[in-house]
Amino acid sequence: MKSYTQTPPGTQILIGRAARRRRALERAICSVFEGWSYEEIIPPIFDYYDVFAKGWGQEEQIYRFIDREGNILALRPEFTSLLAKTVATRLASSPKPIRLYYSGEVLRFEQPKGGRQREFAQIGIEHYGGAGKRADVEILLVAVETLQRLGIQSFQINLGSVDFFGGIVDRMELPKEQIDALKEVLNIKDQPGLETLLQTLPLEDRRKNILRAVPHLTGGRPVIEEARSLVKNPRSVEALNHLEEIYSIFEKLDLAQHLTIDLGEIRGFDYYTGILFRAYVRGLGFEVAGGGRYDGLPAAFGEDVPAVGFSFSLDRLEQIVTPTLDSADVEIATVEIDSDFDKALQLRKAGKAVKLCW
Amino acid sequence: MLVIALCKGRFLEPSLELLAGAGIRFSEDVASSRKLIFESQDKSHRVFLVKPADVPTYVEYGAADIGIAGRDVLLETRADVLQPLDLNFGHCKIVVAGPAGGNGIFPPTIRIATKYPHITMDYHTARGIPVEIIPLSGSIELAPLIGLADRIVDVVETGRTLKENGLEVLEVIAESSARLLINRAGYQTKREEVRGLIQALEKAVS
Repeated sequence: MKSYTQTPPGTQILIGRAARRRRALERAICSVFEGWSYEEIIPPIFDYYDVFAKGWGQEEQIYRFIDREGNILALRPEFTSLLAKTVATRLASSPKPIRLYYSGEVLRFEQPKGGRQREFAQIGIEHYGGAGKRADVEILLVAVETLQRLGIQSFQINLGSVDFFGGIVDRMELPKEQIDALKEVLNIKDQPGLETLLQTLPLEDRRKNILRAVPHLTGGRPVIEEARSLVKNPRSVEALNHLEEIYSIFEKLDLAQHLTIDLGEIRGFDYYTGILFRAYVRGLGFEVAGGGRYDGLPAAFGEDVPAVGFSFSLDRLEQIVTPTLDSADVEIATVEIDSDFDKALQLRKAGKAVKLCW
Repeated sequence: MLVIALCKGRFLEPSLELLAGAGIRFSEDVASSRKLIFESQDKSHRVFLVKPADVPTYVEYGAADIGIAGRDVLLETRADVLQPLDLNFGHCKIVVAGPAGGNGIFPPTIRIATKYPHITMDYHTARGIPVEIIPLSGSIELAPLIGLADRIVDVVETGRTLKENGLEVLEVIAESSARLLINRAGYQTKREEVRGLIQALEKAVS
């Protein structure tokens, strides 16, 4: 078999019903974003490699190439670096906040997993110029409405903050390798692994006990209280105050059942600076959306603007039954071939769909 | 209902004992039946049996909410799952072994026979040692004896098999034992059930 008969690993072709479903999903989500006054941005599919290396960081996953002038370019592995750069340059003098949404394919060199290929479709929003909880709550509400619009009832948004854990390890003054090792065991809630690691760390018992508690700090409001009894450092306390305010707003809106506080959730790209969240749908083994705050990112491109956003994975949403999208097919008039195409044109002018029979 | 993936083979009996300790019992004899899927007596759990190396995959994809598998298998599959508990059975070591009393001279590229190509590669890459991996699915100890490989990477419990084949442990890569695996999404969307089971198992283990 010739290798060109197959598509390269990690790519796929959507035809007919699958393509219609993709577009219907995309349109439904865009209409929610537009309903919250987010403007579409269509960035290029490739840009200078440095944009992504500097912004996103995961260098080993970037598809890069060299153009005829010797510039190193890269296929976009995500949208956030591209948008942050645009906001910091082209849109630097625009009034804030700036609300943007995007939809398109991104490319990453990684093992295909959970329905996500090397080329996969992301759709998301970014809010620039809002520093506090109001922008955080706004984008969380857009995420909630998006899931509801798709007819998904049972979903959870898992909300954490890089500052809670950051405040704890700041005080410990550990070398970077040890912090990375800690993150690695906490990311998979590996208790035995954590115990083994703690034996090698020069920390007082009180601090070790904080780290032991971190993987369990997940749930509703009581989790915030429990965490308060553990930490005193200002950065962690500030993070708890912030999460509690967001949680209170969700309670008042009667949406708290969809929100889980998870202080053990510290996974994420290096650019995250504040809240951090992922959305899960019952019955699907992988997250469908992820996002957070990345205040430092626009500054890396020359303009210090606070920023927060999220993206949905269309490939994963497609695996969920979304009843509101399975619309009826358009009625099509079947037209016998007439030599001058007269009948077909008349039907088209009348706004009817036609299908010529050969 | 929570779905649990268990390993066929030597892990099955201790896994079922632990589940029974956590209050999950089955009317049928799971270990001797030819069926692959079983429901617990109170219908709150469903268990299915697969090959050990496949358990992390079922859990990572959410086909099972929970699984029980060895840490060796987890390291090899690199599955992204939560691993909150050491279940305290199936203890063994993942080791590099070679002919006993070797002369210490090894070729520029070491040929290593193993069932664990990823673990072998990660370990040697981190140390800058060039290796050629010879993937085998059983009787790994044979490879150095008949000149197929210079060394092996495998799990050992007592070391008796190695000794009987004239091999010795050269380096220990990692300790392994049975772990509880949990799907990340299930941990969030079925939180009460999942955490209830973790706590019950934690008690049963200790």
